[in-house]
Amino acid sequence: MTKEEKPGPLTKLPDVCVRCATCMTACPVSRVTPRFPGPKQAGPGAQRFRSAAEASVDDWIELCTGCRLCDTVCPAGVPISEMNMMAKAKYLDERGRTFRDWLLVRSDLFGEMAARYSKIVNPLMKKKAVRWLLDALLRIDRRRALPAYEYPTFRRWFRTRQAPEGGGPEVAYFYGCFTNTNETDVGKAAVEIMEAHGLTVVVPPQRCCGIPRLGVGDLHGAREMGRRNVDSLLKTVRGLDIVFSSTSCGLMLRHEYGPLLHLPGAEELALRLFDICEYLLRLREEGKPAATFQPIPMKAAYFAPCHLRSLDIGLPALELLRLVPGLDVSMIEAECCGLGGLYGFKKEKFAIAEEIGKDLAEAVARMKPDIILTDCEGCRMQIRHLTGLRVLHPVQLLRDALERRGTA
Amino acid sequence: MKRFDLIVIGTGLAGLTAARTAIGMGAKVLIVGRGMGALTLFGNTVDLLGEIPPETEMAEGITHWIAAHPEHPYARTGWEGIESAVAAFRELFPPPYPFAAPGRGNSLLPTGAGTMRPTWLTPITMAAGAAMTPAETLIVGFRGFKDFQGDTVSLHLKCRGVILPLPRYGLEGLTAPALARLMDETSFRERLGESIRQQMAGERFIGLPAILGLRDPAAVLKTLETITGARVFEIPMLPPSIPGTRIFHRFREELIAKGATFRMGHPVSGAIIKDGRCEGINIDNPPLVAEYRADRFILATGRFMGGGLWAEMDRIIEPVFDIPVFQPGERGNWFGERFFDPEAHPIHRAGVVTDADLRPVDAAGRVVLANVRAAGSILAHHQAIEEKSREGIDIATGFLAAKRALAS
Ligand SMILES: Cc1cc2nc3c(=O)[nH]c(=O)nc-3n(C[C@H](O)[C@H](O)[C@H](O)COP(=O)(O)OP(=O)(O)OC[C@H]3O[C@@H](n4cnc5c(N)ncnc54)[C@H](O)[C@@H]3O)c2cc1C
Ligand code: SF4
Ligand code: SF4
Repeated sequence: MTKEEKPGPLTKLPDVCVRCATCMTACPVSRVTPRFPGPKQAGPGAQRFRSAAEASVDDWIELCTGCRLCDTVCPAGVPISEMNMMAKAKYLDERGRTFRDWLLVRSDLFGEMAARYSKIVNPLMKKKAVRWLLDALLRIDRRRALPAYEYPTFRRWFRTRQAPEGGGPEVAYFYGCFTNTNETDVGKAAVEIMEAHGLTVVVPPQRCCGIPRLGVGDLHGAREMGRRNVDSLLKTVRGLDIVFSSTSCGLMLRHEYGPLLHLPGAEELALRLFDICEYLLRLREEGKPAATFQPIPMKAAYFAPCHLRSLDIGLPALELLRLVPGLDVSMIEAECCGLGGLYGFKKEKFAIAEEIGKDLAEAVARMKPDIILTDCEGCRMQIRHLTGLRVLHPVQLLRDALERRGTA
Repeated sequence: MKRFDLIVIGTGLAGLTAARTAIGMGAKVLIVGRGMGALTLFGNTVDLLGEIPPETEMAEGITHWIAAHPEHPYARTGWEGIESAVAAFRELFPPPYPFAAPGRGNSLLPTGAGTMRPTWLTPITMAAGAAMTPAETLIVGFRGFKDFQGDTVSLHLKCRGVILPLPRYGLEGLTAPALARLMDETSFRERLGESIRQQMAGERFIGLPAILGLRDPAAVLKTLETITGARVFEIPMLPPSIPGTRIFHRFREELIAKGATFRMGHPVSGAIIKDGRCEGINIDNPPLVAEYRADRFILATGRFMGGGLWAEMDRIIEPVFDIPVFQPGERGNWFGERFFDPEAHPIHRAGVVTDADLRPVDAAGRVVLANVRAAGSILAHHQAIEEKSREGIDIATGFLAAKRALAS
């Protein structure tokens, strides 16, 4: 490993923190439990006492979900979540990670296999005995439904489908692991909606973005994943824009590969990466060919995922959804769904995730929507679990609203 | 590239007011802030000019005061400007959580330091504080809640005080946002109300730290008043301010619902200037820099804490547009001898000087950027802390800046 590939020292010192406590109003975790001291103390507060030479004493640092909401409100520009991430990495490097964490962050590796045998795997994952074993041996909470696998995978569907007459400008699609093996319809909808905007979609070789590894402070592993993606995606962006439909993958590719992981080429990649709704909205604003939508008379509630807020691109999905006639869409006034990626699957954190999610569930109950829309797969899983309602990616609803030209 | 009618820089009370005013006039608005602004620090009540004695009627007091302070931001808005801006602010907070002025002049409200502080509008949850008398008031603090020292408050206010354990085990060390969230839970506040009732000795008023709920403070107030039979009021305390958070959330909800683009978490790093006009701004979101264009701009970036003003070794600068800043003399004279000097520190007078239209001007009085206006505490020649005029300046100048910008 060369020097510049290592995460550098924090350029911004904890001393830029003015102790204003604004971040404390944003943190979903310290709002529900006194076990986590919150961003002000866990980040810059404790940072002043951390030293590379001394063993970490940050016993609560794993409770930070890495949602980055604290970063979005801090008036002093303190990289709070990055400090937490580095502290978590040191803590877990010293204490060691569990077999569960080792396994969970590798779901991309067994995902393809699980999808192929989904007819066997899915019922198995619902079996009480299996869940009990996972709970007892791996501390994967049995109250949390495991996402079912789907076959054919998105990749396979894309490769084998009858592609429509192309001809429009090409755009590349980063679908992410979950779309590939667990929510293939999101990928199909993304492709269809882009095609309806006159684009020709290509799918470049890609791997897990690596964000699950950041969740367990495995910077080395995350960098490995990132390096492989940068290598293959750079070839793509030297000609094409890449859109992503998963906010967390997008955040990782666009803002963590460079500033956090210092991967060479990350900046060049970031310049041509776009959130799918951001991209479609831009096409429309530039007066490029755009799809028209037919009415969907329905009451919808939109939730802005943490990582979308962190991407800081406004709410392009909401703006697009407002273009669908008859769709009465409003924002869910809640800060976080609570799942935190793999966080909410872990037995010792399940209660915290549920408690955070309660606020969102109550907000939804007051709104009584027919359907919920949100850009992040984690949020969709959690909101289904919390509300029992139908939860889709915005592009799935947009796809449904497309005027079918002649066909079905 | 999307073009906005107006870009507001700053998500404090001034920027939020400006954005909301412009949205109300049908403009396409982008509001962007590096962090959340000072609402979570000080935002509790709406001060107009605490300096004038309570027996003086506000309209009369401010009119006289403006005559004596022709350089003050209020001299730009006039009493009429303040009045209509404050009326618009109040419309954003309909019952059950309205803001109102308890008197015709300033009212005195108890603070977390145990003092009585003059202010103009209070939220319904603080209104009773203006009517309380020491002999009839019980101050309630919570064991383990560090941000509100109930015994200090009761000692200074000469009231009876009690420190109660929280009605659920294991909550000591909770933060204000966590407590406020628990208060939104009916069963929690009922138990708390009950334990307060048991401590009462005929008091007619009960003062509590300002944590009476984030989502539905009026309901919290009602429960506590019904159970105790007394009038209950919140006492402003150390940051983070829950009442300020409510104000922020309400503005953000309204702005997004009405179609404003809301960006938060990254600083505006520069402006594109051509022929004495601003054409666009850059937002720094490493590794990317996003460019946004608009016809008009409002600078509401606050003072030193949020980064609207920046102190170099020998002078004070405005970092976004490099607008000329009124200087408080040599650095040696920036501060008075004592921290709590009743006379404002000279540095507090520093800031941006404008014409009657709130357009920044240079030392010779020439407009520096024809389509840029300044609003809020960044303006020169006020002493918001000593005068107690913070929210009034923010609301009145934010309102005026938007009106004037869109009229141009
Ligand atoms: C915006 C702002 C500006 C201020 N400006 C000034 C000023 O100019 N001058 C001034 O005198 N005062 C100032 N103060 C006040 C001053 O910061 C506080 O009075 C002081 O910090 C309080 O100290 P504390 O130790 O009680 O609490 P805290 O501020 O909470 O500090 C506790 C510190 O100890 C660390 N810590 C806690 N437990 C452990 C542990 N087990 N091991 C290692 N470390 C631990 C925490 O991480 C934290 O850094 C300011 C306060 C604020 C909010
Ligand atoms: S990243 Fe999220 S969970 Fe972690 S401290 Fe910040 S706000 Fe809290
Ligand atoms: S918001 Fe930023 S400056 Fe304020 S306490 Fe948190 S880290 Fe420090």
